Amino acid sequence: MKRKTTFQKVLIYLAAIFVFVVSMFPFWWMVISSLKPTSEIFSSVPTFWPHDITFQHYYNIFVRANFWVYFTNSLMVAGTVTVLGTGIAALAGYAIGRFNIKGKNAILLMILSVQMFPLVVMIIPLFIVMSRLGLVNSLVGLVIVYLTFALPFCIWMMRSYFASIPVEIEEAAMIDGCTRMQAFRKVIFPLAWPGVSATSIFAFITAWNEFVFAVTFIQDDSLRTLPLALQQFFSRFTADFGGLMAASTIATIPVLLFFIFFQRKMTKGLVQGSVNT
Amino acid sequence: MNNRWLPWILLAPALILILALTIYPLFNTVYLSFRQYDMYSLMTGVSTWVGLSNYTETLTDPFFWTVTRNTVVFGMACVFGTMIAGLLVALLLNTKFKGSKILGIVILIPWVFPAVAGGIVWRWMFNDQYGVANYLLTQIGLTRFDGFAWFNSPWTAFTVIFFMIVWQSFPFIAVSLLAGFQTIPDTLYEAAEIDGANAWHKVTKITLPMLKPLLLILFILSTIWDFKIFDQIYVMTEGGPARGTYVLALYSWSEAFNSLNFGMASAIAMLMFVLLMFFIVIYIYFLREEKGGKRA
Repeated sequence: MKRKTTFQKVLIYLAAIFVFVVSMFPFWWMVISSLKPTSEIFSSVPTFWPHDITFQHYYNIFVRANFWVYFTNSLMVAGTVTVLGTGIAALAGYAIGRFNIKGKNAILLMILSVQMFPLVVMIIPLFIVMSRLGLVNSLVGLVIVYLTFALPFCIWMMRSYFASIPVEIEEAAMIDGCTRMQAFRKVIFPLAWPGVSATSIFAFITAWNEFVFAVTFIQDDSLRTLPLALQQFFSRFTADFGGLMAASTIATIPVLLFFIFFQRKMTKGLVQGSVNT
Repeated sequence: MNNRWLPWILLAPALILILALTIYPLFNTVYLSFRQYDMYSLMTGVSTWVGLSNYTETLTDPFFWTVTRNTVVFGMACVFGTMIAGLLVALLLNTKFKGSKILGIVILIPWVFPAVAGGIVWRWMFNDQYGVANYLLTQIGLTRFDGFAWFNSPWTAFTVIFFMIVWQSFPFIAVSLLAGFQTIPDTLYEAAEIDGANAWHKVTKITLPMLKPLLLILFILSTIWDFKIFDQIYVMTEGGPARGTYVLALYSWSEAFNSLNFGMASAIAMLMFVLLMFFIVIYIYFLREEKGGKRA
C-alpha cells in the first residue's frame, strides 16, 4: 500500500471527527439534557456541558408518570419475543440449512419476501384478526405480532450460521451415538452460539423499539410499552423537556447496552444475513 | 420420530406464524380493499362488497395525489441521501485509519436508537426557542434562524425529518457496503494503480461496478423502508401542519384508525404497495441488465 500524505491524513481525520460528532450528538444531547435542571434546559444560550447535574427528571418520571410499568411491559414483551423468536428461528434455520426439503426454495423465497414487505400494509387485517381473537389491547397480542415480523430475518440469520458449520461435525456426533436432535442440542447449537446471540439481539431490538403496532393495538395505560408511553408523554407534556429527555434516555439505554456488549457478533450476523444471501 | 417429517416439525412453528400473520393478512388487505368495512363491520363481521369504489374514490381525490407526491419525493430523497451518506462513510472506514474500528461501532448508535426516542430528541434539537440547531445556525451568522419554527411549514418539517431518517439509516448501508468492499480483491486496485489510476478512478471504475448487485439490493431495501416511514413522522409532526407532512403509510393508517374506514384504508395500502413494486421492478430490471452484461 502507498503511504498517505499528511494532507490526506488530515482530511481523513477531519471527516472521521465529523462522522463521529454527527452520529453521537443526538444521543449525547439527550443524555445531558436529561441531567440539566429545568432552568438550564430553557436558557437562551444552550450549555454543551451541564453546569449542575440533577437526577430530578428521572425521579419525576418514575414517581409521577408510572415509568416502571411501561419499562416492565417493554421488558416482558421484548424478553419473550427474544426467547421464543430465537428458539423458533433456530429450529427453522436448522431445518432449512441442513435438510433436503421439497419446496425449500419456495419457503426461502416466501420468508425473504415477507422480510422485504412493508408491514404497514397489513396492519389493518392484522388488527381485525387480533380483535376477533380478543388479542387487541393485550401484551400477548403484541408478542405474537412482533414475533412474526422479527422471524423472517432471524431465520435468515440462523440459516447462514448453520450453513457455515461443516456437516461432518454432526455426522461424527451421530456416529458416537447421538440422535439427530441430541447432535443438534449438544454439538451444533453450542457451535452456532455467536449466531444465536446475534439473532437474539436483533429480535430484542426489534421488539423493544417497535411503535406502529403498539399505538394501534394498545389502549390501556397500564399495558403501554416504552415507545408508546414516550410518544403519549411527549404529546401531552411538550413543555417538560427534561422529563422527556429522561424518558427517552430510559428507552434507549437498554438497547444501547445490549448492543455495546454484543455489537461485534451482531454486525457480523447482520452482514452475513443480509449480504451473503 | 421419523426423519422424513423432522424438518417439517422444526419448520412448523415458524411457518404457521408467518402464514397466519403475514401471508393471510396480505391477501386479506386485497379483499378488504373491495369492501365497505367500518367500525360496525369490525364489531359484527358484516361488510358489503363495493367493487372498485374505494379505488375510484381514492384515485379521484386530489389529496391522495398530494400525499403520493410527498411520499415519492420524500422517499426518494431519503433513499439517495442514505445511500450517498452510507457510501461516503463506508469509503472513509475502508481507509483503515487509527480509530476506524471505534468509529465503525459509534456510527451504529443511531441505528439502534428507538425511532420514537430519536424523533423526540430531534424535535427538541430543532425546537424554535431553545433548540440547539437554531442556536448553532445563528452563531455561524445565519441570523434568520433565530427562533425559526421548523415545524410550521411542511417543507422545513420534511427537511428535519429527512436529516433524521438519513442519520438513522446510513449505518446499515455503510456497514453492508464496507463488508462488500472487502470482497473486492486488492490486486484489482494494484493493477489500476500501475496503469496510473487515481482514487476517483478506482472508486468509479472498480468499486462501484463490482458492488452494483449489492448496491441495488440496498437500494431496494432502502426504498421499502423509506416508503413506509411512519414512526418518525407520527412522533415529530403527527402529519401536520394541516396534514402537510402526510405520507401514504400515515394516510392509510389514519384512514383506518382515526376515520375507522378500514376498506378505504386497505385500498390506499394496496395503491402504496403497487407504487413500491413499480420502483422495485425498475431496480430489478437494472440488476438483470447487469447480469446479462456480464455474461456477454
